[in-house]
Amino acid sequence: MKKNFRKYAMVGFICALGLLTACSSDSKEPVAESEQPTEDILALNWEQITEQAKGQQVNIYMYGGSDTTNRYLDEWIKPRLQEEYEVDLRRVPVSDIEETINQLLVEKKAGKETGSIDLLWLNGENFRTAKSNDLLWGPITEKLPNFNEYVDGEAADIQFDFGIETDGLEAPWGKAQFVFVYDQDKVAEPPQTMEELKQWVEENPGKFTYPSPPDFTGSAFIRHVLYETTGGHEQYMKPFSEEVVGNWQPMWDYLNEIKPFLWREGKTYPENSAKLDQLYSNGEVWMTMGYDPAKASNEMMKGTFQDSTRTFVLKNGTLANTHFLAIPYNSGKQAGAMVAINFLLSPEAQITKFDPQYWGEGMVLDMDKLSDEQRQQIEAIDRGVATLSNEVLSDHQVPEIPAEYVEALEKQWHEHVAKP
Amino acid sequence: MNMWRNLKPYLLVLPAISVIGLLFFGGFLLGFLESIGLYSLVGEREISFQPYVDLLQNADFRRSILYTLRITALSTLLSAFVGLALGLSFIQMKGIGRRILQFPMLIPHLAVAYLVALLLMQSGWISRLLFAFGWIDEIQDFPILVHESFGWGIISAYVWKESPFIAFMLVPVLLRIQDQWGQVARILGAGRWAYFREIVLPLLMPSWLAASFIVFAFKFSAFEIPLLLGVTYPQMISVFAYQLFSGDIVNERPLALALNILIAFITALLGLLAYRLSKSWLGEESRGWN
Repeated sequence: MKKNFRKYAMVGFICALGLLTACSSDSKEPVAESEQPTEDILALNWEQITEQAKGQQVNIYMYGGSDTTNRYLDEWIKPRLQEEYEVDLRRVPVSDIEETINQLLVEKKAGKETGSIDLLWLNGENFRTAKSNDLLWGPITEKLPNFNEYVDGEAADIQFDFGIETDGLEAPWGKAQFVFVYDQDKVAEPPQTMEELKQWVEENPGKFTYPSPPDFTGSAFIRHVLYETTGGHEQYMKPFSEEVVGNWQPMWDYLNEIKPFLWREGKTYPENSAKLDQLYSNGEVWMTMGYDPAKASNEMMKGTFQDSTRTFVLKNGTLANTHFLAIPYNSGKQAGAMVAINFLLSPEAQITKFDPQYWGEGMVLDMDKLSDEQRQQIEAIDRGVATLSNEVLSDHQVPEIPAEYVEALEKQWHEHVAKP
Repeated sequence: MNMWRNLKPYLLVLPAISVIGLLFFGGFLLGFLESIGLYSLVGEREISFQPYVDLLQNADFRRSILYTLRITALSTLLSAFVGLALGLSFIQMKGIGRRILQFPMLIPHLAVAYLVALLLMQSGWISRLLFAFGWIDEIQDFPILVHESFGWGIISAYVWKESPFIAFMLVPVLLRIQDQWGQVARILGAGRWAYFREIVLPLLMPSWLAASFIVFAFKFSAFEIPLLLGVTYPQMISVFAYQLFSGDIVNERPLALALNILIAFITALLGLLAYRLSKSWLGEESRGWN
C-alpha cells in the first residue's frame, strides 16, 4: 500500500515536472527579435519599412508541389531579395494552404502573439476563412509602392477573391486560367462546349475523367459544368443563397450522364490532378486539365507530356482567378513580409515569372502601366507551343463564384455523383 | 542517496514521457474537447455529443467502417501467413536473401503506394511489359488491380510491406528454438509437420498473434495507401476522416474530430485485445522455454 502510494506520487511529480518544463520553455521562445507593435508599421513610410525589414527572416508558407514555382522562388527571388533588401525569404512547403489556415486558427485560439508564419499564398475559400476569423494583418496593399504603381487596384479580379472583398488584406501575386489539355494526335477537333465534350466522351469511352473534388482542379471542372448547364455565371455573382443550390439538378444530371463513359466507367476518379496527369502521360486517357495555361508547355519541356499535347478553352470561356499573398495577424516580421510582397510585385519579378523557363504564370500587372521596354520584353517571351495566346485566354474568361458555392458543390458531388 | 536512486529511473524516462504526454495525450485531449464542443476554434462553447450521434447515424460512416474492417482483416490474414513463411525461410537463409527480405521495411508507406500504382495500373509497368511481349492485345486487357472497390491494390501494398515486419517479430523466437528439439522429436517418431504443429507453432503463437494485431491496428487507421490506391467511394475510414477534416473547416471540424476519437478508441481496444491474448498465451506456453 505504502509502496504503491510512493509510486503514484512519483509519477505525479514527474508529470507535473514535464508540464512545467514544457510550459516554461514555450513561453520563453518567441519574444526576442524586432517586436514592434503592429499598428506602427502601417503608419511608417516605405523607407522606414525597408529599413526595418533589413535582416529579417521571412517564412513564406505556400503550396510546395510544383517544381517550377519552387525553383522560381529559391533560385530567382531569394538571392535578389537578400542582396537588395537584406530580407531572407524562407520557403515552407505545404501540401494545402488550408493546413496553414488551420494552424493560424489554432494559434489565434491559443492566443499566440507571435507565430512563425509571415507570408501566405492563398485565395478563395481559404481567404474567406482567414478573413472572417481575422487571421490577416493589414490592409497592406495601399502601402506597397509596386502595387500602387503597376496594379489596377480597381479591377474586379483584384478587389474580389471568389466573391469576397479583398479589402487590401491580400496583394495579388498571379493570375491563372483553367485550360483543357489534349493530345492532338488522338483528338482531332477539341470540343467547344460542355455539350460537345459530352458527345466526345460518349464516342470515346474510357478516355476522359476528372479529379474528384475537393481536388482544386476537379472542383473547377465541375464549376464549368455548372455554368454551362444552369445558364451562365451571372446568376452566381450575387451573395450566396441556399435556394440557388437547389437548382443544380441539370449539373448533376450532366455529370451522371457522362459517368458510364468515363475512365473506369466512373466507378472511381483520380484523387488529384497529378494522378490525372499521370493517366494522360501514360496514354490511358486523352485529355487532362489544369488551372494553369502554361502547364502543358511546362510538362512538354520536362518530357512528361507527349509533343502532340495542346490546350483549349471553351467557347463560353473558362474560369480565371487571381491568387494572392497575405500576412498573418501574428507575424513578427511584417516589414520584411511587405518588402517581399512588394518585390514579388515588381515588373522584373512578374515578367520573369511569366517566362515558362521559370513558371510561365500570368502577371497581375496592368499592361498599360508598364513601359514600352517592359512590354517588348514580355512579347519576346516564348510561352511554348501548347500555351494559348494572351488574346485567346483573356477573351475567354469567366469569373469564379462565391466560395460558399464552391464548398456546397464539393460536398454535394460526393452525394450526387460519387456514390454508385 | 536513496532518494536519488529511486528518482533516477523516472528522470531518465522523463524526456520520452513528456514528449508523448504532451504531443500525444495533449493532442488527443484537445481533439476530444473540440469534438464535444468545449474547445471550438470559432463560435460558441457548448457541450454536445451531437457529432458522435450524427456519425453513428451516418450510413457512409458505417459503410466505411465495415469496408475498412474487411480490407484490414483480409490483408492482415494474408500478411500473417506470408510473414510466417518468410520468417521460417529467413532463418535458413544467409547474406543476400536476408537483405532482400529486409528490403520492404526500409521503404516508407507513401513510396510503397506509389510503387504499387506504377506497377499494377492498367498503364503500369507490368501491363506494358505484357503488352510489349504480346501476351495481352491491349493494355486495357490487364486486370484492374488498383482503384477498384475490392481493394486488391491496397491489400497487395500492405502484404508486401507488413509481411517482413511479422517475419522479423518471429525470427528471435525461431532462433531460440534449438535444433536438438527437432532431432529429439524425430527420434520420438514425429514427422516434420507434427514437429512444426506441436512444437514450433505453439512457441511462435504469442509473437505471431501480437505482431498480427499490431499490423491490424496500424492498418486500421493508416492513411497514405488507402488514399493513393483506393476508390472515390467507398472510402477507408482514415480517408473519410481526412475528407471531413479538410472540408468545411468551421462546421465539420467537430464531426471530423469525433471520428478521429472513435478511430483512436477502436485502435486502443484492438491493442488491449492483442495484449490480453498474447499474455494468456505466454502464461501457458512460456514454461517450455526454461
